[in-house]
Amino acid sequence: MSALTRPWNNLTLVGKVILPLLFLVLVVGPIVTVLAAVYVAPLVVDILASNLGIVRFVVAITAILLFSIPAAFIIIYMELKVIAYMNTRVGPNRVGPGGSLHSVVAGLKVLLKEDFTPTSADAIVFTWAPVFVFLTAVMTFLVLPFGPGLYAQDLNIGLLYLFAVGGMTVVGLLIAGWSSFNKYSLLGGLRSAAQVVSYEIPLTLSVVGLILLAGTMSLNQIAENQSGGFWNWYVFRQPLGALIFFIAATAEANRTPFDLTEADSEIVAGFATEYSGMRFGFLFFAEYVNVFIISGLLTTLFFGAWNAPVPFPHIELSLDPGSLGIMLLILLAVVPLILTLLFALPFWLTQSRMPGWQALILGFLAFNVVAVGAVLGLAYVGFDWFAGLVWFMIKSFLFVFLFVWMRGTLPRVRIDHLMGFAWKWLLPASLLNLFITAIAIVVLKSTVIP
Amino acid sequence: MVTETPIGKIRSDDDPRVLLDEQIGSFEPVPPYPPRTERESEFYTLGDGEMFLNMGPQHPSTHGVLRVVLKISGENVVDLDPVLGYLHRGVEKLCENSDYHHIISQVDPLEYVSSLFCEWSPVMAFEKLLDVEVPRRAEYIRVLTGELLRVASHALFQGWMALDLGGLTPILYSFIERDEIVEMLASITGQRMLFNYFRIGGVNGDVNHEFMSRLGDWMSRAAKQHETSIGLLNENEIFVRRMRDIGRLDRDLALRMAVTGPNLRAAGVPYDLRRAHPYSVYPELEFDIPVRGTGPEGGDALDRYLLRLEEVKQSLRIIDQCLHNMPDGPVMAKLPRLLRPRPGRAWAAIEGPRGLYGTYAISDGTDQPFRMKIHDPSFVHLQLVVQLMRGNLIADTMAVMASLDPIMGGVDK
Amino acid sequence: MSLIPGLGIVRGMGVTLSKFFAPKATIMYPEQPADVAPKYRGRLQLLYDEWGTLKCETCFQCAQACPIECIDMGGIDTKGRFHVHWGPPETYGERREESAIRRSGRTVADPGFAHFEEIDLAALDEILAAHDYDPKDTLAILEETQAEYGYLPVAALKHISRMTGAWYAMLYGTASYYRHLRFEPPSVTTAPRAGEAHRADEAAYRSALDAALGGAASA
Repeated sequence: MSALTRPWNNLTLVGKVILPLLFLVLVVGPIVTVLAAVYVAPLVVDILASNLGIVRFVVAITAILLFSIPAAFIIIYMELKVIAYMNTRVGPNRVGPGGSLHSVVAGLKVLLKEDFTPTSADAIVFTWAPVFVFLTAVMTFLVLPFGPGLYAQDLNIGLLYLFAVGGMTVVGLLIAGWSSFNKYSLLGGLRSAAQVVSYEIPLTLSVVGLILLAGTMSLNQIAENQSGGFWNWYVFRQPLGALIFFIAATAEANRTPFDLTEADSEIVAGFATEYSGMRFGFLFFAEYVNVFIISGLLTTLFFGAWNAPVPFPHIELSLDPGSLGIMLLILLAVVPLILTLLFALPFWLTQSRMPGWQALILGFLAFNVVAVGAVLGLAYVGFDWFAGLVWFMIKSFLFVFLFVWMRGTLPRVRIDHLMGFAWKWLLPASLLNLFITAIAIVVLKSTVIP
Repeated sequence: MVTETPIGKIRSDDDPRVLLDEQIGSFEPVPPYPPRTERESEFYTLGDGEMFLNMGPQHPSTHGVLRVVLKISGENVVDLDPVLGYLHRGVEKLCENSDYHHIISQVDPLEYVSSLFCEWSPVMAFEKLLDVEVPRRAEYIRVLTGELLRVASHALFQGWMALDLGGLTPILYSFIERDEIVEMLASITGQRMLFNYFRIGGVNGDVNHEFMSRLGDWMSRAAKQHETSIGLLNENEIFVRRMRDIGRLDRDLALRMAVTGPNLRAAGVPYDLRRAHPYSVYPELEFDIPVRGTGPEGGDALDRYLLRLEEVKQSLRIIDQCLHNMPDGPVMAKLPRLLRPRPGRAWAAIEGPRGLYGTYAISDGTDQPFRMKIHDPSFVHLQLVVQLMRGNLIADTMAVMASLDPIMGGVDK
Repeated sequence: MSLIPGLGIVRGMGVTLSKFFAPKATIMYPEQPADVAPKYRGRLQLLYDEWGTLKCETCFQCAQACPIECIDMGGIDTKGRFHVHWGPPETYGERREESAIRRSGRTVADPGFAHFEEIDLAALDEILAAHDYDPKDTLAILEETQAEYGYLPVAALKHISRMTGAWYAMLYGTASYYRHLRFEPPSVTTAPRAGEAHRADEAAYRSALDAALGGAASA
């Protein structure tokens, strides 16, 4: 007994913790894994395979929830930085390289802040309103195709679903404004109700022409219809519709110049006046998720979705790493070493003052850059979904930039101008667009395609 | 040890042990005393579907600490009542208890965006009391620095105007413009905001090399920067539509309410103190007096905005002439340290970026003025808000107020 | 407003985009210290001369000139408390002369005050009461004080300062400004002139003369 206890007593506290864990990991872990792989895995795989739809849905939902927060972070950072640059400032520059972690820290700050409820507020509604707003924003991601095959659900009424869920945002804003027990909040909530409901109509009508053209309401199908080059994009067949959709979507997402709901110079912060802590964070994130969604929708509906502007000749990669056999392992071990030395060589030869180890580090960095570029390039060429994702993101963030740019430039419209614009200009224009499209289709079908 | 709250009672926010019968309501804008005037009783009676909205004193766009009680019906402002006094410091009384040199720094923070103009009128009044001849070089420096500050003040007005309408960017450009001017003035005055530069009988220190080089640098691109800032908003449809036809101020109302400065000139009255009652060296300088809103309807917020932009151009002209015509000589008259003007009274008024700044000083022969009255244009213009904003939308309240350009430091004194 | 709707908006957006690529106006403050003008007056500091001693002579002129009375020298206040103290106390110990404290309008500490001539303040109190302790009547008070005492004793000025609230320095300044006010008694020649030395014995002479002339001298 003492032969065992003495070394055990000699261990430090950390050792006493780590040793049993090591035992668990090295001995018990493999045994359990093997047992699970042999007996449980087929069962699980069977269940999953038989319910592939549900599995896909759950995975997609998780991915969307995980994606929405970083997307909001990126857009917040982008907004801070772009507006700062337009103001000839430098913007956030303290946290992370170039201030890139600023919005992450801001998010953490929001989490740590006091979650305050006004005394006279309707506490339950007040608490749930931001969640409602955030969820409706995130739920619209469900039908958005990020790339070929990269969508959660290919609903055949995808567009309808989008407008239905998107229209529910107003309920969240309205109850947020109502439950805050603040006159500014109330005004903000009422403004958002008036505004979102009014702009819902031109927004929906503007895409009816597109639906007529595409013959489907599935976003995936609309995206596929636009493949083949930028001349196939619907923006060239529906320019008026695209413009109306752009304006109405800006108003839907409460972005400048239609950000009357949170007009800070008039009604302080609108419906968000009394919110603090993470509840404010939800409202805040929802706003930026909405920005991404309208950018993604514009891309999907009018700007060719995931398709590249000019179709690249498809390169069939006949790479089969498995055929290399054991050589693959050797290559993986040797190639980085050789390439690092190769990249280090020019540094070492040209910079006489540089010690060898610095040249090696630089060589390693250069190799990494090249390797990541090569892997991404291969992925772009090899996987359709990756190429599609890249193009979708590029286009979407161009639109995000446009929205941020507008926010940096334009003043806010007045409430009566806003409503007048919706009912007197956008609605007739969208109806006109619909009629022209319908007539064109009828005429073209009767002449071109007999 | 917080036990359960009985039904029908709530716990006080200040002390959770205290139980209250009623819910704590929001802050009531209605004053706790019975109405003192007919206007008050009429204003604080709510009609059908109306409610009060307290705007300020802490509000993003009330230009400081103005509180406006709005009586609104939906988005429409039925009536409104500005409540002043949140920044009151008793400057006039402070001035009566400090000697003539000290007063310059007491009046400095009145209008904190153009503080040289606040110094100018008291200094002129005291010079009249003392019967001092100011050296011509000092007068030229006064005009030069004053016009520079007028440009800065109007630039800031432009930014505030846009900010109150929801544009984020112009205020930053305005502040960059203002910062250049203010840095320039700091090189001769030593401060960036409250310059404390004018003295009785001259100015505190001559212009120096740094000032002149900065000024030359700035003058070479001032006109271009002005054009850029015009291009940002002046043709913007949203901006123009929001500014047009709100807050119309016609000639009669303007004269009746003793409006001065750009607001008066935008109502169609070509009255500029620099020409009407010339002071300093303005008679020797060439400049025009822009006038807008000469029609029967008077000028709207857009006219007031555009007029200030035109004034900037005239100010640039004046600065240019000052630089070319400035004579050599002393910048300070010879005066004893302790000033005791003969008993008497004096009134001096100047044309500032917001209108007429005046000082009425009575001397009783001691080293402190017996009485000193400061006329501030912002205070006068703030009377107009009730006349101009009634019947507008809430959003227009901001636009009209910004177009009148009041500075609360001067209003509350 | 331009003819084509939206052109003004596009022009404004062009301005912001051009500023997007323009050089930035931000000053990285902690790394890059702010540019302070040589005439900057925002910070109070005491200057040293080339020998490393303070140039300040504790004349309190700056404290007097400061309109918001934010400048103060280290020293003892009217209630005997020690106040703001800049620099090594030894420096101030030797520099803070009672004359400086007196110039600052403060009550001079006891040893300094002791050498003032005690005067009867009753008459001065009457003068002050007649003027309602109004510092605006400074000149009249001083003139009447001088008429009463023949000159302006320091103790009287102190008393006026304390009762009216006017700074001692101001009273001193006012008094020194006017020629007809003086701080010393009107000049009385104390050195004996020729022949005057005998006057001390005048009574003896007179009595001797009386005795000799039979009372005719005193008549």
